[in-house]
Amino acid sequence: MKNNTYQRTRLIITTFVLAVVFLAVYSESYLLAAAGVLTGLAFLALIRSGKKIKTDERELSVQEKAARLTYKIYAPTLGISAFLLLFPSKSGLSVFRNGEWLFTETIGMVFAYLTLFLITIYAITYHFFNRQYGGGKSEK
Amino acid sequence: MRLPITFLIDSMEEVKVKNKIKIFRAMHNLTQEQLADEIGVSRQTVNAIESDKYLPSLGLAFRIAKLFKVSIEEIFIFDEKEKNYEN
Repeated sequence: MKNNTYQRTRLIITTFVLAVVFLAVYSESYLLAAAGVLTGLAFLALIRSGKKIKTDERELSVQEKAARLTYKIYAPTLGISAFLLLFPSKSGLSVFRNGEWLFTETIGMVFAYLTLFLITIYAITYHFFNRQYGGGKSEK
Repeated sequence: MRLPITFLIDSMEEVKVKNKIKIFRAMHNLTQEQLADEIGVSRQTVNAIESDKYLPSLGLAFRIAKLFKVSIEEIFIFDEKEKNYEN
């Protein structure tokens, strides 16, 4: 299978899965959504195994840049949002005393843990790839 | 179209390398699609390399040179006007 055919097939399957999930959510049938997603994944795995498609190196380079930019935007945004949501509730302002704005603290905590999770994953994967590409070893 | 936030991306110092892929492709009567299939990349990648928008990896450069049966230096030309790294 040529790369173009593979890309086209992948697009068709993704569109099909999206349509099934949309219909499933609309009809509140979560079983159908799960079945749609699983079937889509199975089809993608099937067509990927049946051909000799190598991921294009330019595409990989683009993905790396996009992922790096996403991390650079997402991590600080999430971290600053967590701080902004947590800080007022911890400041002892009168509006927070009755517990009416308690949800801001909860959301802040969720954001804070998400930031932590994101940074942890980044640190682990960085360490892994750094070792894979020969970093961290001193010359003897 | 360029993203206005690309300043967030750390990039290595750009190396200017020109190439003669288009000429060699014409000499061998190959289309971008055919060349892409031969070297295992997409047509867009061949187009990006030809128009100097994407610098191929060393492995891909070797594959291209091997296909045209020439040395890498005959296809890819390093821009000598760039910084001198010998000092």
